[in-house]
Amino acid sequence: MKLFAARGGPRKNAVPRRLAGHLIRGLVMIWVVTTISFVIIRNIPGNPVLGQYETLIERGMSPDQAERATAALYGFLPTGSLWEQYVGYMKALIHLDLGQSLSTPGTEVVTLIASATKWTVLPVLGGTLLSFVLGVTLGVYAGIKRSGKLGDLLSISGSLLHGVPQYVIGLLVLAIFTTLWPIFPAGGPVDVEFVPGFNAGYLASLIHHATLPVLTYALASYGGWVLAMKSSVATVLGDDFILAAELRGLSRGVLFRYVARNAILPLFTILALSLGMLFGGAIFIERIFNYPGLGLLLVDSIGSRDYALMGGTFLVTTMAIIVANIAADLLYAVIDPRVRSGGAA
Amino acid sequence: MKRLAAIAALAAVATATAACGTAETGALAGPGGIYTTIDGAKQIDATAPINPFNPQGSTFVGYDAMSLAWPKNDLMDPNQFYPGLAASWTATPDQGEVVIHLQPNARWSDGKPLTSEDVRVSIGLAYTQGGSAYTVNAGAAGAAADIQIMDAKTVKIVQGANRSNAFLRNVLSTVVVPAHVYGSLLPAGFWATLTAARGTGPAAEKAKTEITGLSQKVIAFAPREDVSAGPFVLERVNPGAALLKKNRYFYDAAKIVPDKVKVLNYTGNEQIWNYLVSGKLDSAPFTAVPAAVMKRIKETPGNDIRKGYSPVAASLAFNQARKPYDNVHVRRALAYLIDRNQVTKIASPEAGTPSVTTTGIHGSSAKAWLGGELGALDQYKVDPAKADQELKAAGMVKKGGTWAMPDGKPWKVQLNVPASFSDWVAAAKSITSQLNDHGIDASVVTSADYILYLDELAAGKFDMGFWLMALGPSPYNIYQRVYGSANGWSLLAGQLKHSPPGKDGNWMGGPEKIGGVNPGELTNRLNLASPEEQKKIVGTLAKLTNEQLPLIQIYDYVNTQFVNTTRYTGWPEPGSEALRLPAGVWMQLGLIKKSSL
Repeated sequence: MKLFAARGGPRKNAVPRRLAGHLIRGLVMIWVVTTISFVIIRNIPGNPVLGQYETLIERGMSPDQAERATAALYGFLPTGSLWEQYVGYMKALIHLDLGQSLSTPGTEVVTLIASATKWTVLPVLGGTLLSFVLGVTLGVYAGIKRSGKLGDLLSISGSLLHGVPQYVIGLLVLAIFTTLWPIFPAGGPVDVEFVPGFNAGYLASLIHHATLPVLTYALASYGGWVLAMKSSVATVLGDDFILAAELRGLSRGVLFRYVARNAILPLFTILALSLGMLFGGAIFIERIFNYPGLGLLLVDSIGSRDYALMGGTFLVTTMAIIVANIAADLLYAVIDPRVRSGGAA
Repeated sequence: MKRLAAIAALAAVATATAACGTAETGALAGPGGIYTTIDGAKQIDATAPINPFNPQGSTFVGYDAMSLAWPKNDLMDPNQFYPGLAASWTATPDQGEVVIHLQPNARWSDGKPLTSEDVRVSIGLAYTQGGSAYTVNAGAAGAAADIQIMDAKTVKIVQGANRSNAFLRNVLSTVVVPAHVYGSLLPAGFWATLTAARGTGPAAEKAKTEITGLSQKVIAFAPREDVSAGPFVLERVNPGAALLKKNRYFYDAAKIVPDKVKVLNYTGNEQIWNYLVSGKLDSAPFTAVPAAVMKRIKETPGNDIRKGYSPVAASLAFNQARKPYDNVHVRRALAYLIDRNQVTKIASPEAGTPSVTTTGIHGSSAKAWLGGELGALDQYKVDPAKADQELKAAGMVKKGGTWAMPDGKPWKVQLNVPASFSDWVAAAKSITSQLNDHGIDASVVTSADYILYLDELAAGKFDMGFWLMALGPSPYNIYQRVYGSANGWSLLAGQLKHSPPGKDGNWMGGPEKIGGVNPGELTNRLNLASPEEQKKIVGTLAKLTNEQLPLIQIYDYVNTQFVNTTRYTGWPEPGSEALRLPAGVWMQLGLIKKSSL
């Protein structure tokens, strides 16, 4: 009993200790990234108000109208020395205040990020999960049948799609399904004619508009999952326990499950990180399909030199990735006994 | 595979359901149907408040955001307007007093009548934003000094002592909001504070600070719902589009045919091209379109193009603080080498016409302003021999077939353009190619985006760069682009001052006086002068600009609007003075009808 208690104590404390270590490291990392991004953002050249004025002129507005539309924007620009701005920014951050946007003047950055996040979740999360399920399932087949035609076909399809940039797939999907065979809308998240709510028309429109972004995201990331899973399966197939299972005469179905379960472990880390990256949005996909997610928000904020919005978007992305890292590490310890016991199992 | 099939089936069901749903709601919109368009001035931001003082606000000019009047696209006179919420107006000859008579039947979308108090509150709110007629800067020309309510539908606005001929048009452009919604934004004693702000000394400064301090509050103000005096009122907005429904209280409701207006959002030109190719848009302001896409747009059933005068031109501006561009002979030589026809054909075949010459004014309006004088100006037709003469006169030397600086050092010409302006990039490439053919080592350098480009331009980092000019119809606005802050002249508390090159945004670096003429001073007078005097000044400035070439006018833009006649018709005729206005104003003018096709 003593022996068990002695072994159980440190194991019990290991997870909270690990979590505490992760949290401290995560907070330090967030502070470092926030500081670096603050300095970079404030040093991006360009006067946002002058830019806005000239853009309005370029769009055909008269100088008088453009002046009227932009004169008050100067009030939204940060003032004081860089150090003063930094101290003010960090103080506000502690109170979860990300400031006010310049490109949507008067609107809180938190509001803009919250609005964009909901539109990012659907296509990116949907695309990630769809590609993960497809990629992992087909990756197992590709690994087991790697010397057959099916394995070759799956590997080639994975390599091809993995090599094609996301924006190329997006443009192809857009051209096929909105121009050549126009069955999906070219842009936007939902038809404004439908009253928002839990009604069939609105939900159908939501899915209708999300289909192409989800499809693009799934196609663009599917190849990576197939290849990673195939490689992982190939490694697992060489393990002794598989040989033992074969010698014991276990059925192919059971063998498949053994292989899949063990091979999928490393992919969970990648999946957790991918879900963290979700908050960075899918810049090209959101731009191509006019999907108002976080990626598009970040691009627009850079284009309009909206310092507060840029800082807020970077911060959310950073935090999401750090949290995903921590979650991946903890999840791995939960699902893989070897990691939990420090490799002793 | 079952999962894949299930997902595909779900998407198919969604497609079918959404398609049916759209058709159903479209039919329910009413017999007038849904008019679909885009807002060329801004992209939709669903989080922005329903507030026209917010530059990104969820209001749409001409539909639910209303001015007192709408500017006509006149070649010379910036004071020509179509009635808006103002049914009529009068102004004294010096524009010292403007009297506005509101539409007698105008009401807000909540049924309350539109009154003079609404105009007064709107003007008060405009003061918090600054600019044009509503500035608290003492001494600024064209600032309103008093607002008097004559009766429930009549307002008099009095100009301050420093009179400007821009006053009337700035007053008529006032956006009017309901006092019963926005009035609480103006604190008690606002008008007394405004009076105090027009004075001088610490009390006036304090009052100014109080007024401008309200600007952020006004911009951020978010009414719970849209209250509009326009033909439409916002029903809902999402990041993809805004939906507006007809305002039954609109004063001229009988003229408004569509039951709803859908304003689609876009993240870039590609989306607009897609909308146009698929025939979704009933009208759209011009967007730069590649030739292949334009062909497809034209092939779409019902699509048509309406062209008219657009008071904007693209030019190649010099930084005269840099050698050898301080030498007029070098600038002239380059003008003789650039084939503007070829550049326009490559850069903007649909939306541009080659500039006849450099006057600072758009070609169409130059004819009206200058008449016979225009023909007397040097057109700088392509002439390599003259270019050689000019370069020699500047002391430039030719070595091994390449032109070099007078001291024999290499002359490298760099043309700077923002990467996102495809027509300017194409124009710059065409120009450098032409210059290279003549032994001038020229290349194109792009800036990552327009804001960065403007920043680098203002910092004097470029030898020359593309620049928008000829922003008519106001002659002051036209020449302010050439002899304004970019060239050293700026107005400070009503006083004109000239900054040396490299300071206060002076990147053109031209001399303050040329042959005894101060072009900045003349430009400034354009805002104060009578029409006769304006004509004289414009003549002088056009001649001076043509001789000195602080910039080379490359092509004049053509206002090119897309329309689709499948669902609606009655578009403004080509060249119409209404063509540049939003389709909501076309509806107010009674132009848009349901198509019988």
